[in-house]
Amino acid sequence: MPVTVEQSGGMRFIRLEGEVNIASASELKKLLLEALAADGEVRVDLERAAELDVTAWQLLWAGEREARACGKGFSVAGQVPEEVLLSMGEAGWNTFPVSGEAKAEEK
Amino acid sequence: MAQENNIDKYKQTFLEEAREILIELESALLALNENRGDLELVGRAFRALHTIKGSGAMFGFDQLAGFSHNLENAFDEVRNGRLAVSSELINLSLSAFDQIKAMLDEAAGGEPASSVVAAEILTKLREVTGKGERPAEAVAPPAVVPAAPAGTVRRWQVRFSPGADFMRHGANPLLLLRELRQLGSLEIKASLAAIPPISELDPERCYISWDMVLSTASTRAAMRDVFIFVEDICELVIEPAAELVAKPVVAEAAATAPKGAEKKFPPWGRRASDTPDNASSIRVPAAKLDQFVDLVGELVTVQARLVEIATRHDDADVVAVSEEIERLTTALRENSISIRMLPVRSTFERFRRLVHDLARDLHKEVELTIEGTDTELDKSVIDQLNDPLMHLIRNSMDHGIEPAAGRLAAGKRSSATIHLSARHSGASVLICVADDGGGINAAAVRARAIEKGLVAAEAQLSESEVFALILAPGFSTAQTITDVSGRGVGMDVVRRSVEGLRGTIDIASKPGMGTTVTLRLPLTLAIIDGLLVRVGQAYFVLPLASTLECIELTRQDIDRANGKHVANVRGEIIPYIRLREYFRLRSEPPEREQIMVAETESGRYGFVVDEVLGDHQTVIKNLGRFYRHVDLVSGATILGNGTVALILDPHRLVREAIRTMTVGRRPLSTRTAHIRADARASPPSHDGAAGDGAGAEGPLLSSTEKFAGTAGAVQ
Repeated sequence: MPVTVEQSGGMRFIRLEGEVNIASASELKKLLLEALAADGEVRVDLERAAELDVTAWQLLWAGEREARACGKGFSVAGQVPEEVLLSMGEAGWNTFPVSGEAKAEEK
Repeated sequence: MAQENNIDKYKQTFLEEAREILIELESALLALNENRGDLELVGRAFRALHTIKGSGAMFGFDQLAGFSHNLENAFDEVRNGRLAVSSELINLSLSAFDQIKAMLDEAAGGEPASSVVAAEILTKLREVTGKGERPAEAVAPPAVVPAAPAGTVRRWQVRFSPGADFMRHGANPLLLLRELRQLGSLEIKASLAAIPPISELDPERCYISWDMVLSTASTRAAMRDVFIFVEDICELVIEPAAELVAKPVVAEAAATAPKGAEKKFPPWGRRASDTPDNASSIRVPAAKLDQFVDLVGELVTVQARLVEIATRHDDADVVAVSEEIERLTTALRENSISIRMLPVRSTFERFRRLVHDLARDLHKEVELTIEGTDTELDKSVIDQLNDPLMHLIRNSMDHGIEPAAGRLAAGKRSSATIHLSARHSGASVLICVADDGGGINAAAVRARAIEKGLVAAEAQLSESEVFALILAPGFSTAQTITDVSGRGVGMDVVRRSVEGLRGTIDIASKPGMGTTVTLRLPLTLAIIDGLLVRVGQAYFVLPLASTLECIELTRQDIDRANGKHVANVRGEIIPYIRLREYFRLRSEPPEREQIMVAETESGRYGFVVDEVLGDHQTVIKNLGRFYRHVDLVSGATILGNGTVALILDPHRLVREAIRTMTVGRRPLSTRTAHIRADARASPPSHDGAAGDGAGAEGPLLSSTEKFAGTAGAVQ
């Protein structure tokens, strides 16, 4: 499963692995909604993601916006792989999770 | 896992579409061969390849995409005037086309395509493009890296908004953007304004749209080509940006005029192609259509029952409703049949390749002209048309058309023509394959037929009867006479296929002028208008299209005819077949019988029945494998009361009757004309194998009598 969730120390880690595309979009949305509804911070782990498609981008972005609106912690855990950043850059995507602080935020 | 199924479904759709695009590609290549300067055709080939490449990559057919990419590049070179269209390129492209087809077959679960062949083709392709036969009139300066093509760089504003179903089609906007980037330098900004709150977000929909400024020397058409596969599921606006980067535009090699504002295509609209007629259509699996027609067939059957019940109850309301339903059913039936109608275009176009390849192999110059491609035929008929047409064309090319030297000697153009045409004629469609070759040597055919025992030496045959002999199974063997050698090869296949479609074949030929084979095919195989008749307890349906009139046959008439099975209809002598005797039905004939007069291939014939019940919308049901070889019956139908009625084929019934009467005694040639002559002249009766007391009576009587006698033997 390219999208999994893990609860650890009051934080919810949503882990994206390998190719994350339309096939796992519904699952990702479900997990994001659950994480947003639950207590505690949400961390998105993209370290092992090889490729994200636009369905994943927009879900992550919408999740981050939602979290920001209700003052909830929502951030990227670990490094975003170069190829993911590259493809986002190529497509003119210069917001979450490409943003500077996301890249800087190391574990 | 629904998504996975969906992806599979899209892959399936891709494979189907790719096959259609391949047909387009092939016809473009072949047309290009005839008309090498036509940039429109180059563009067609390029777009077809581009689409196959793009969508192939989208669905993970990387090998296919890679292979097509190479060919696409070659055509891009042609498009930009850097490479001339040569026979070599065309032939290579056609082999590449075959390879792509093989790859598609592989993707569909067929045999694996040979990678050796693919590599070979690519090597040769590189040679051809590398060698660079540069035409003198080439406009674009050569030798430029494709990423930054020469010419004037212009800035374009591009707005790309994927439609709601974009992702669900398996399309990936990122790949398209990447491809667009290759045309020049791209400034890009993703617009996220449309992304809704996460709870309302449809995870499978792309809400992002892109605003871009592309600086490129490519044409607007080239930019559009990037989006060609998705143009009906996205919104695309390409406009020149305000300022120009470099000097004014010079004539571009393949510049198609900007088509005004790019329009938005309706969702699910088909790929916008050169033909307007598929502008808005939907793709439905043939099986669903068959099911639909089957259901309409069932409805027709039930409706017939309703009519019967309504008549029995004699209730005005029920009758009114049943009549209304009858009207609707008829409309629905006609509608369902029209849905299955397809133009013969793609079937016809396919033969350009055959003609091209065969002409090359046989070292003959042959041009295929096509007419009436819009003529529509039932899908099931079209599906079965391929084989017979292929054999006919092959025969024409191989044996009908003379070598160029022979043609010149005969005072003809060295280049021969095969004309393939289709047109409507009543409830049938006429399909003609005409060549301007040497024609059929009638005397040779006749001699061979006599030698093979197909006709008697003294038989008087009309020309078309002689030509019909080449369709006989005996003629389809290899050791035929040299003059017409092979004219029979495959002709048996043609005959069988056409008869399977309830069609007929007519052959006309003039020595030295050419041969025309005309196939007459029914418009549909599913439902026909029939005439329901009864003989004793048995019901039969005769196709309404072939019945002419219905006359009464009284005992008196029978007596007057001196036992001969002929009726005098307004002075015309019409032979008839008594179905009761023919099918050996054990029941007493009524005092007054009816003769259904039908027009058959063998002339007018009557069929004697007890009662004519009226016209009947006949849903043709297959009789199944066991009865497949029963030629006289073309199927069965279920009547309102649940009884099964056999659908008779008057042509075959008469032909079979003549055959059984003549078999073993008289060759095939004794046709109606002969029988009539016999009837008049009353020659000595034939001593027959099937005795039935034929000797004592006139030949016509004996013949019809024997129909009854041998009917059981007719399989």
